[in-house]
Amino acid sequence: MFFEPIILIGLLLLLPLLAAGLLLVVRGNGGRKVVVISFGILIMLATVLLAAGYLVGDRWQGSFHYPIINYCLLAVDVIIGVYVLGKSIKHKKVLAGALAVAQMAGIIAFEFLIAPSVNIANDLYIDGLSVIMALVIGIIGSGICIYALGYMKEHECHAREKDPNCKDRRPTFFALMFLFLTAMFAIVFANNLAWMFCAWEITTVCSFALIGYTRTDEAINNSFRQIVMNQLGGLAFVIALILLGLQGVLELDVIIAHGSLGLLGLPIMLLAFAGITKAAQVPFQSWLLGAMVAPTPTSALLHSSTMVKAGVFMVIKLAPAFGWNVNGIAIMLIGGFTFLFCSAIAISQPNAKRVLAYSTVANLGLIVACAGVGTPEAVWAAIFLLIFHAVAKSLLFLCVGTAEHNIGSRDIEEMDNLFVRMPKLALLMALGILTMFIAPFGMLISKWATIVSLVETNNAVLLILLAFGSAVTFMFWAKWLGKLLAVAGNQTNVETKVNGSEWSTIGLMALLVVGLSVGFPFISQWVVVPYLLSNPQWASTSLEVISFDNLLIMAIIVVAVVLSFLIFARSTKNRTAPIYLSGVGVDFEKRTYLSSLSVETQASQRNWYMSGWFSEESMTPLANTCCITVITFGLVLSTLSIWGWSL
Amino acid sequence: MTIISFVVAFVAFAVLAPLIGGVIAGADRIVTARLQGRVGPPILQPFYDVKKLLAKDDSVTHSFQGFYVFLSMVFTVLAGAFFFAGGNFLLVIFILMLATLFFIIAAYSTRSPFAEIGAEREIIQVMAYEPMVILMAVTFYMATIPMLGEGTFNVGAVFALDRPLIVALPFVFIGLLFILTIKLRKSPFDLSYSHHAHTELVKGISTEMTGRTLAIVEIIHWYETVLFLGWVGLFLVWGSWIGVVVAIVGMILVYLLEVFIDNNFARVKWQFMLASSWIVTLVCVAINMVLIQVIF
Repeated sequence: MFFEPIILIGLLLLLPLLAAGLLLVVRGNGGRKVVVISFGILIMLATVLLAAGYLVGDRWQGSFHYPIINYCLLAVDVIIGVYVLGKSIKHKKVLAGALAVAQMAGIIAFEFLIAPSVNIANDLYIDGLSVIMALVIGIIGSGICIYALGYMKEHECHAREKDPNCKDRRPTFFALMFLFLTAMFAIVFANNLAWMFCAWEITTVCSFALIGYTRTDEAINNSFRQIVMNQLGGLAFVIALILLGLQGVLELDVIIAHGSLGLLGLPIMLLAFAGITKAAQVPFQSWLLGAMVAPTPTSALLHSSTMVKAGVFMVIKLAPAFGWNVNGIAIMLIGGFTFLFCSAIAISQPNAKRVLAYSTVANLGLIVACAGVGTPEAVWAAIFLLIFHAVAKSLLFLCVGTAEHNIGSRDIEEMDNLFVRMPKLALLMALGILTMFIAPFGMLISKWATIVSLVETNNAVLLILLAFGSAVTFMFWAKWLGKLLAVAGNQTNVETKVNGSEWSTIGLMALLVVGLSVGFPFISQWVVVPYLLSNPQWASTSLEVISFDNLLIMAIIVVAVVLSFLIFARSTKNRTAPIYLSGVGVDFEKRTYLSSLSVETQASQRNWYMSGWFSEESMTPLANTCCITVITFGLVLSTLSIWGWSL
Repeated sequence: MTIISFVVAFVAFAVLAPLIGGVIAGADRIVTARLQGRVGPPILQPFYDVKKLLAKDDSVTHSFQGFYVFLSMVFTVLAGAFFFAGGNFLLVIFILMLATLFFIIAAYSTRSPFAEIGAEREIIQVMAYEPMVILMAVTFYMATIPMLGEGTFNVGAVFALDRPLIVALPFVFIGLLFILTIKLRKSPFDLSYSHHAHTELVKGISTEMTGRTLAIVEIIHWYETVLFLGWVGLFLVWGSWIGVVVAIVGMILVYLLEVFIDNNFARVKWQFMLASSWIVTLVCVAINMVLIQVIF
């Protein structure tokens, strides 16, 4: 161990906080660049330092108990509540205001009446999962902040074209991004649930502010949808805190060790509910879709390393308490339905960012389902899904953002022929897409593990949901990939204008995607399996979800595919011929030809969106009905179990 | 599956499968001709066709096209090799999916409107058959639990059985036969690419492929035919030489059934293909899962 764990945690919490403070003060472009890049790199280094000490080590836990901290955090909670209340009054949003008041009342009552009587042995901890999360937050999160430097510069220029007098609000933007990272680090290291709650609320309010950043009506409405849904989760969290406090336990590890039975059943379900709202599971998916109005770095941050990942982190943490009990079944069904329905809706979306959003919700659904299954095999799959989703999604969002700035659209149809216009970017985007849905890349291997864990627990319903969900997943990724990799004509390469800060982060993400896919068997062997076996509930002698040989085969195929692309990308020796266009070709790039009547005709071909089958309008009510029913049953039954009533 | 057995299977499949697949294609054409009241070509005609394609001038729309098709063949061979070496069923399915994806990309990359329509249809075909394929592997595992004492995804385990899998998985077998029509590119489900010139929209997914590229597409089809018949055999074989004979006879009968279906049904719309495949998959798999739970 190189450093005291408490120092490392302190470093990770304070570095982004300090950066956020500095960014509010330093308002010049040059200064901001220095601060963002230097702190970004420092945070990355700090997480690597943490990983060097604790990634493969034993769990560390410790106390850091000073009453002053509790009061400070309470003050933060109240400030957040007042801020949201103020915004609600300003924009006349009654529900958000009411929820803010309810939450404030709950947390104040909890801190003064209940919390003082609860003894807490360990406030903080570090284990394998929290180190993995810290790496995701630290490396991807800071990477996105660096990317945002270039992106927001162009964003600001675009905004200024529309309205020359608009105020440059980038200092606030970057401060919020770094504050977000602090809160995320706090969530993954906090064993004391009251502490975690405070960080939880900071992430909610940060994303509220980031979504409303552009201050258009749409942005403000969507930010309020976000806050209302996440406040529901927050309220569930407060109720869980009160119920747990009354029983004298507020430590995450103690709660998990006791399992989902009896008096702990309801609080665990409420915590999982908070996780589900944050992870934008159906019926709460609409806040994440609404979040698309924000600038792309915000979307990338919310989707890949923060916010939704806090939600699934919570559910994965609680996994040992799930399985074949009321809570477990409710959680796995919500995840399963979300995966199937949201994958299907993604087919009907022509907007690249919405496809990414639905795919995020769907994949988080898969993670939630795995956590609900609650076996070590399923959690193995969930952790890998989390890692690969974070990396691949950030790569994809950043690529789409850069493409949007250069081709002026986020419509997939407009990305036709991108391979010619922006070859490097198109290939990297293709890499991200491949990672999301096809063997030998990470997400599919994790899905394979999901199938194994489901079949081992004889979970027929979820297997069927997964099989159909995987098939529709193939549809929406493959058709996007096809458009992207189309080759025609010699259009000008517009890639040269892309900002250096954007390239550096995109390059880093691409390296991570390939590196992690190749290193999969070793990450499993050295990091994830030891972590799972260190859990007291799962202490068995061995854990092999997919045999090491098969993982190695996949890793070799990754190398082969990537190398063949790299080598082949240069050679052209075949004779090339124009395509067939039912007439005499005129312009093959525009696909125009002289038809039999000697009229110049244009052939056009759009992808299929099958809106008759998979439209948002028809699928969403169905998905909502399924998931609301499941959640209601879960909450009612776990409430009844307090009085000893069970199925 | 050791490395040696894999290498043997790889070489054997790479060399033998096109020979067997080509002969099957030739026999297919003769049977089809007889069903239509014609004499038909010699049985080796598919080999002559491919030889001619290989001799043609090699032209492509751009340099990546041939590369994608070649990758598609490599992964098809790899999938077949893992299957016949007795490897993990899911591994086979996922590698095959990669091969299919590269074929789709090859068509898309030409940016020809006709090839694009073919590629879209191919994707819809994947969407139609993929649930059944995954659930076939899943029910394979479920059935081996009572039959072998512990569940496995390794297809080599069928040789340890004392009865064929079809005893436990009759409905899954029916489901497989249904989607096999899509996978073997037989009418009524030959939406993306057909051997029947009269039903084809130009030439579907292979519109822009000629010469060596088209020859490879043809050879990929032979590999796939052998691999998919292997899937059929998986349900029929058990650990005895009689089992092997039964499996071979069963595969021949299944292929004849496919040829019969091919010649008696006109191509349907994608809506019907997708809906019917999904319904058949859901019904067959659900009934069979219950069956395994109740009877075994």
